[in-house]
Amino acid sequence: MQGELDQLALISAGDAAAFGRWASSVESSLRGTLRPFAARCDTEVVMQEALLRVWQVAPRFVHDGRPNALLRFAVITARNVAFTELRKVAATPTDGDALQRALEAQGEVAPGTPDPHLRTAIGRCREKLPKQPAMALGARLDTPDDDHALAASVRMSLNTFLQNVTRARRFLADCLKKAGIDLDLELAP
Amino acid sequence: MTPEDLLLLEQVVSARRERTADGAIKSHPAWHDLDDAGRAAAFDETVRQRALERALDAAGQSSTIKAVLARLR
Repeated sequence: MQGELDQLALISAGDAAAFGRWASSVESSLRGTLRPFAARCDTEVVMQEALLRVWQVAPRFVHDGRPNALLRFAVITARNVAFTELRKVAATPTDGDALQRALEAQGEVAPGTPDPHLRTAIGRCREKLPKQPAMALGARLDTPDDDHALAASVRMSLNTFLQNVTRARRFLADCLKKAGIDLDLELAP
Repeated sequence: MTPEDLLLLEQVVSARRERTADGAIKSHPAWHDLDDAGRAAAFDETVRQRALERALDAAGQSSTIKAVLARLR
């Protein structure tokens, strides 16, 4: 708990690096709570907007004494953002009751813990990637440009670039499976 | 899933999102072109992709976190 309070103090004081560490530690858990919204709104938008709002509110945030206070606040914020996004795409009929049931069924959230074994295994698999998928994935990982610019940077058409990113991800998943690692199991809450 | 849907899905998995003039984050155009199953699949692929990104990044940051941090500076 003391570590969490120390981390919150840094974030509240405007330490972006501390916020980045916290956000990385909770990203998987936070995104997981948005699964009920996956078919209804673009959850990547929700994630980014929610984290930005948490950062903006952090200087005034008061810890309630229970573990993972900022993460619990982020979950509520993300849900509010998601409902706002739902209203923007209201052309899609939404079963509000089913959505509410899915949200109520979610248990307590907690930050994920980095698995150094998984990190090493993924790094080894990346080294085995064929050239074209490796280039496409590397572009996606290293540069925040849009896909058209990324494709041009590795001299691929947009479709070829996207296909190579897909191939890279599948290759990595297969490589991990051969190493005895099921990424879905590793990511299961 | 059709090859066309796979291309749409791959675009949605990216953390890159355009913004409106007032700074609001816009949903990806490709997300709107996917059906419900495609959107759910894109969500699952994004979860896996971000885990890979965190593992492959020296600072342990995914493209989502990098996009957010870039907005703070």
